[in-house]
Parts: sequence; C-alpha cells; structure tokens
Amino acid sequence: MIISAQLFSFFTAGSLVIIGIFAALFLDNLIKKIIGLAFIGDGANLFIITMGYKPGGIVYIFLPNMTISNFAQNASYPLPFALVLTSIVIGASTLAVMLGLVIVLNKRHDSLSASKILGDESD
Amino acid sequence: MMDSLMPLMVIIPIASALFLNLLHDKDRTIKILAIVTALVLPIIPLLTGYGSHYFGGYAPLSQNSVIAQGLPAIITSTQLFVFHPGIVYVFGSAQKVMIFVLGIVAFFAIFTALNETKKPSGVYTYLMFMGTAAATAILLSDDIFNFYVFFEIAALAQIGIVIASNVKNNYETALKYIILGNIAGPLLLLGIALLLGVTGNVNITDIIYSIKNGYVNPQNPVLLMALALITFGWLYGSGLPPFHTIKSALYSKALPHGAALIQAITVFIMVALGVMILRIFSYLSFSKMAIIAVSLLALVLSITMAIVQTDFKRTLGYLAVGELGYIGIGLGLGTTLGITAGLFQAINEAIITAFLFIGFGTVLYKTRISDTRKLGGMMFENPRVALLVLLAGLAMAGVPPLNAFQSKLMLIQASVQAGVPELGIIMILLSIVTFMTFMRAFYIIYMRPKPAELEIHDYKIPKATIISLVAFLIICLTLGLFPQIATSNLQTLASSLV
Repeated sequence: MIISAQLFSFFTAGSLVIIGIFAALFLDNLIKKIIGLAFIGDGANLFIITMGYKPGGIVYIFLPNMTISNFAQNASYPLPFALVLTSIVIGASTLAVMLGLVIVLNKRHDSLSASKILGDESD
Repeated sequence: MMDSLMPLMVIIPIASALFLNLLHDKDRTIKILAIVTALVLPIIPLLTGYGSHYFGGYAPLSQNSVIAQGLPAIITSTQLFVFHPGIVYVFGSAQKVMIFVLGIVAFFAIFTALNETKKPSGVYTYLMFMGTAAATAILLSDDIFNFYVFFEIAALAQIGIVIASNVKNNYETALKYIILGNIAGPLLLLGIALLLGVTGNVNITDIIYSIKNGYVNPQNPVLLMALALITFGWLYGSGLPPFHTIKSALYSKALPHGAALIQAITVFIMVALGVMILRIFSYLSFSKMAIIAVSLLALVLSITMAIVQTDFKRTLGYLAVGELGYIGIGLGLGTTLGITAGLFQAINEAIITAFLFIGFGTVLYKTRISDTRKLGGMMFENPRVALLVLLAGLAMAGVPPLNAFQSKLMLIQASVQAGVPELGIIMILLSIVTFMTFMRAFYIIYMRPKPAELEIHDYKIPKATIISLVAFLIICLTLGLFPQIATSNLQTLASSLV
C-alpha cells in the first residue's frame, strides 16, 4: 500500500510534467502557458519529495531519547526536502517575473495570445 | 585547504548588487561604488589560494577526527564517511583564470555602462553584478543543486538585463527566453533529482565516487535519463541548438555592454556545465559524441544564420553562439589537448565577443540604428574606434597574432591528434566564413559611403568605452603572443577530465 502510494506520487509528478510541457508548447493563452510552466516545476518538486520518502521512516530530527544507530537506520533522508524548499523559492521568483512581463505585454498589445504577442516580434 | 577569500568571489558581487539596488537618485554614489566593486572582481581570484571551501565548516567525516570518534559502523564503514555533507566550492588554477576573465569582462561592461548612460541605474548594475556572481558560483561549485540554483539566478539576471535595455521588443524576447527557461530549468532539476535518487548525493565528487567504486551501476538507465535531462539544461544555458535563435535574440535585445556581459556569463555556464557532464558521464563514450554533434550543429547553423542578418547586433549574436561550437568541440574531443583548447577558446571568446559588442556598440551610440541597410560611412566618424573593431573581428576569425588564432590552432591540432581531421577542416572552413561575415558587416557599417538619410549624433564616444576597447585589444594580443599564460593553468583541469 505504501509502495503504491509512492508509485502514485511518481505517476502524478510525471503527469504534471507532461501536462505542463503540453500546455507550455501548445496553448496560446499566455496565462495558461504560465500555469503549464508552473506545473512542470511542481512536477519536478513532487518527484524529489517522493524520492525522499522512506516507508516507516522517522522525521530527521535527533531527539534526546534516540540512539545514533536507531536514528541512522530510520530517519528519512533530509536532503530532498531541503532542495525542494529552495526550488519552490526559485519557481516563485521566475513565476513573478513571467507574470510581470505578461502584464506589461498585455497592456501593450491588448491581448494574451502568445501567437499575437510573441509572433509580432520583428527581429 | 580552506581559503576564506573563496566565497568572497560570490559574496562581494551579491552584496554590492543588493546595496546598489537600494541607491535610487544617488548617481555619483552608484558610479563610484559600482566601479570600485567591479574592479575588485578580477583581483580576488588572483589573491585566493587553491583548495576547497566547506560551507558551514561541514567537511567530510573522514577529515574530521573529532566528530568521527564514537560514530557507529553504519556510518564509518560506508561511503557516508567520505561524503561531503555541505555545499563545497573548489578553486583550482582553471577556475582562477576563468573567474579572472569573467571579472575583467564584468568590470569593463559595468565601466562602459556607467559612462555611456547619463543617469547610472542602480537596478541595471544590480543585475550585472548578480549575473557575474551567479556565473562565478557556477564555476566554483562542486554541488550540482547549488549549480542549478545559480543557473536559474543567472538566467533571471540575463532576462533582467534585457528588460532594462529599453530596446524595441525586448519584453517579448525576455518572455520567450524565460518560457523556454521554465521548461529547461525544471528538466535540469529532474536530471539532478535522478542523480540524487541513484547515488543519494548532489555533490559532484561524491556522485563520481559512487559510480567509480561500484556503489551504483554505471549502466543504470536512470543515469542515462539524467544525462539526457542535464544535457537539455546545458543546451538552454549555453544557447546551443535548438536554443541558438533565442540566445542570439537575447544578445541583440540587450544594450551592447549588457550583451558583452551576458555572453561572458553564457560562455562560462557552458564550460562549467560541460565540464560537469564530462566529469560524471565521461565513461559513456556517446556523451562526448553528443557534445561534438551539438557543437558542430551550433557552429554551422549559427554562422549560416549570421550571414543573412541585416541587424548587426543579431549578426554578432549568431557569431557569438557559433563560437560556442568551438568550445564544445574541444570538450567533446575528450583529450587533454582538446579540452585545454576548448577551455582556452572559452576564455578568448568571452573577451573577443565583449570587445566586439562594446566596439559595435559605439555605432549604436552615435546613430541609434542597428539595421545595416541604413548604415554606412562610420569609418570617417571615428577611425580609431573603427580600427579597434576591425581588430576585434580579426581576433574572432582567428587571425594571428591574436588570441583566438592560438586556441583555434590548438583545436585543429587536437582534432588531428584525436583521429578526426575532418573536424579540423570544418573548423577552418567555418573560421573563413566567420571572417567573411564579419568583414561584410564591417564594410557595410564603416567603409561604404554614408547613406544621405543617416543621421549621426554629435555625442562624443566616452573615454571609458575607448579605454575598454584598448584594454580588450591588449588582452587579445597578450594571450595571442603568450598563450601559455592561460593554457598552463587550464591543463590541470583538462588532464583531470581525461
């Protein structure tokens, strides 16, 4: 049951990435595109969290009544959780920049269509 | 050996960036502070001793006898005992040269930017310092996740520099780049996650230790997937195909000094990620083949695209991306000579392309036009600057005695030595095409008669710009005449990768 929960989580992460890539590449509305991009990042984060999950594991805080051996054997691996925290912050920053750009471009072009806004660019 | 100066290479630009961002309407303070800090950037690597820096003092347990005492066998008898528990920076002679060159380019880009604009922008200098700090951290870091964090910061800084440029359609280009970045970035993160899943670590040295000592099956398909995803991130960060078009657009939408810095950041990100791929995956022979294939594609596509451009900033952008191909070929050859030549080419490219962007930037400064169809006769406006730009172009094409001649010659020798002389022939042919493309742009802008409708402003080209161009020329000549200054420092890293 626990393994299947982990597998389900991996499957969800994979689905988020695939849906996100589809939205980012094929949807024309810039806001939908950005939501898709957020999905890709969320999928990657969920994948890392799922990897750090240890069936029957304990929280990685060394409490006074624990022995080192017991802690070393049972504590879940803290690294993935620390990485995801940083990754969420990065995701939020890039999301803010993207939305800021879309706000400016929407005012300029009066549209949210990627083909209209990004296709207009004359190089 | 720990050297406390090592993290300062990243901390100083970040701290000054944050401080400069707060200084609105204090033009003189921004200018003085930015120039002084930028001047420090190339100096610190020269003063820093070689070695590793363990953040938080978290050295491997095997190096810490106090903590190691009394630990159970479950830790001391496993690889946990030698693993690096914290973020590690590694500083060797190759990093020294590369961070020095990055610092030089950053200094002259910031110096030119502050003198070419009437009102220095704290935000713009903030972005330039953040980009420099991110690229420096990427060059130093031995931690693949730390690498990813600064990879994203570098991407945001590059986008910020473009947004701040006020060039037509800069927002559109920035949005395109960030959209692609938000696909490539998480895929790179997934690649890192797969490596973490297989090896239990994000420290590059530890990942290699796990693979080489049989803790991980080197042929595990998950590792191959990780290689594919990390390579995708590398292509985005470097602007190699399929990202060559957007990368060259990014250069063309930045101001010339911004483009000079962006390309240097890109070059060093490409080198750092390429070296990381080689360090972890060099046992897979096709990893080198893939690097060569993509680099060759970048060379051919970008130089071909450069020929047909009518905007000189776009021409330069494509030429800059094309030159990355030489670096990739050097790394992909996988021999000591090839990797040394690739790294040397990276240093040369960072300098020459900055030289060209700032040099051609004087045309933009005087005319506000980058469309070659509307330009001409600029030679008579300022023959000294025209000569400097010509020399920059000759340096890029690999004409002796300038620096790229030495690195390109080494690359050709390396390809012959590696048994693929065909690569050498292609590189010679493409260097000729680069030369022709540059000379065509130079002729149109500088030598043909000035179009009647072209309006040239009276602004005098700032002395700071001329000083920067002369300084770049001196560096090109020095490295062209004495290449061993750089190659002797790069060889150690190159031989460790073979």
